[in-house]
Amino acid sequence: MDVADARAAQALAAALRAAAPITGVVPGRASVLVEWDPLTTTADAVRRLIDAALAHPSTAEPVGRERTIPVVYGGERGPDLEDVAARLGMAPEEVVARHAAVELEVLFCGFAPGYAYLGDLPDALRVPRLATPRTRTPAGSVAIADGMTGIYPDDLPGGWPVIGWTPIRLFDPRRNPPAYLLPGDRVRFRAIAAADAHGFAAAPEDW
Amino acid sequence: MSIAVVEPGALTSVQDVPGRGAWRHVGVPVGGAADAWAARLANRLVGNDEGAAVLEMTLVGPTLRFDAPALVALAGGLHARLGGFSVPRNLSLPVRPGAILEVEGNDGLRGYLAVAGGIDVPDVLGSRATDLRSRFGGHRGRALQAGDRLESGAAPDARRRRWTGTRHAGPIRIVPGPDAEALPVRVLEEAQWAVAPEADRTGIRLDGSRIAAATKEVPSMGLPLGAIQVPGDGRPIVMLADRPVTGGYPVPAVVIGADIGRVAQLRPGDALSFVSVSLEEAREADRQATEELAAIELLGEPDDDELSWVGSLD
Repeated sequence: MDVADARAAQALAAALRAAAPITGVVPGRASVLVEWDPLTTTADAVRRLIDAALAHPSTAEPVGRERTIPVVYGGERGPDLEDVAARLGMAPEEVVARHAAVELEVLFCGFAPGYAYLGDLPDALRVPRLATPRTRTPAGSVAIADGMTGIYPDDLPGGWPVIGWTPIRLFDPRRNPPAYLLPGDRVRFRAIAAADAHGFAAAPEDW
Repeated sequence: MSIAVVEPGALTSVQDVPGRGAWRHVGVPVGGAADAWAARLANRLVGNDEGAAVLEMTLVGPTLRFDAPALVALAGGLHARLGGFSVPRNLSLPVRPGAILEVEGNDGLRGYLAVAGGIDVPDVLGSRATDLRSRFGGHRGRALQAGDRLESGAAPDARRRRWTGTRHAGPIRIVPGPDAEALPVRVLEEAQWAVAPEADRTGIRLDGSRIAAATKEVPSMGLPLGAIQVPGDGRPIVMLADRPVTGGYPVPAVVIGADIGRVAQLRPGDALSFVSVSLEEAREADRQATEELAAIELLGEPDDDELSWVGSLD
C-alpha cells in the first residue's frame, strides 16, 4: 500500500496493527506492507479496513521521544568523513557541524534489528551510497546516504558512507522495547571527543 | 528429558512457527522455520501445537543421543537412522533412552525434528526461534554445537501418528508484487531457473536469466515472505524466513504461502520454474496445504515390541 511519506506510513500502520484479521503490518519509507490470513479473511475485506483507516487519519501528533546520540566524528571510526566532505565541497568540520545541528526523525526501521532510518537530512548533506559496499561495517558506525542517516546496531555489511561512531548500544533483545530508537523519535547528534567515548554507558538511562 | 548433541551437523538450530512478528517495526526479522509447513507437520505428528520449537537441520546431520524416552518425528527434506536403522519420515517414533538418531541428506535441504513437548528454550521477543545473524533466541542465540544439551517440555500424549497426505509438486506459484507493472513478471515464468550457490535462510539467488530494466531502486518497503527481489544485476532473489524487514529493490512477484516452504527445500543447483496464479488460486492453494497437513492417521500408544525396533539400548 503506497502512501505519501514515512509519517503517513507509521500512522496507517498504527491504525491497522490492532485490526483483527490483519497478521502483519510493516511501515516503510512511503508504503505499508499489510499481511492477512487468506483462510480467515479476503483481500477485499482488508482493502476496506485500509480505506477506513485512510479516511479517518489519526490527528494525534506522533508520540516521539527526544534522543541525543553522542558521536565521535571522523578518524578511524568515521573513515568516509573526508570523502563525504570533498564530495559536498565543504570542510569536514562543516559536515560535522551541519550533521550535529539538525533534528531528525526516525522515519522507519529495517535492514537489521534496531536499525533506524533517520531523516530527512538537508540537501547540503545529500550523498550517494558507496560505489562498492563494505562487507563489514562495525557496530556503532554512523552513516549517511540518500538524504538519511543511520547507525549500525551490529557488525553488518553496509553501503553507506561512514562519518562517525557512537558508543551507544541500539539493540538489546533482553529489553522491552528491544530498540533504543523507535519510529517517530526525534534524534539529535552531539559531537564528542574520542577520549570521552568511554564515559558513555552502552545502555542509555533513558532507554 | 534431555537430548545430547553428539555431532551438530552442517547447520542445526532451534526454530518455531511463525517466528517473531511482533517487532518488525523496529527491524527485527520474522525468522522461524524456513519450511514452516514441514515444521508444522513434524509437530502435529508428536501431538504438539503446530508452532512449537523444533530442530531445523540443514543438508546433513546432526547426531543426537536421547537420555530419556521420547516421542519424535522427522519431516522435510532429510532422512534419519535411529539406532543404526533407517526410519521413515512423517511418522512419530518412540525413542528409548540411549538411542542415537543420525540425520542424513535426502531429497531436500532442510529437515525438521519435533519432540513431543517441544524443544524447551526461552521465549525471546515472542518466539523461541534462533536469530542466527543477531545471535539471540533459540539455544544461546546460535547454531547447535557438539556437547550441547537440549530439554523438551511435557509431552502432550504418547500416541503415535502417521501422515498420509501429499505435498503439492510442480512449478512454484507466484502472485504479482508491488512492482509487477514496472518489471516483466513473465520473464520469471518463461525462464528456467537454478538455485545459485548464494542460498541461505535469508534468501536464495537464482541463475538462468536476467530481468532487464531492473536497475532502479525503490523506497525501502516491508518485504513479505516469498518476495522476489530484483537487484541491479537482474538476478532475482527469493526472500525466506531471515529476510530483512525492509528492502529497497523492486519486487515484481511474491511466491505464494503454500509454496515458499518448497522453495526453502531447494539446494544450490536445483532447478525451478514459476507460474503465475490469481490471488483466489493462491488462497485455495493455502487451504489445500493446510488440509494436507491434517491428513494424519492415529496409530495409538506404542507397545514394548514397537519400542524395540526403533530404539537402541547401547
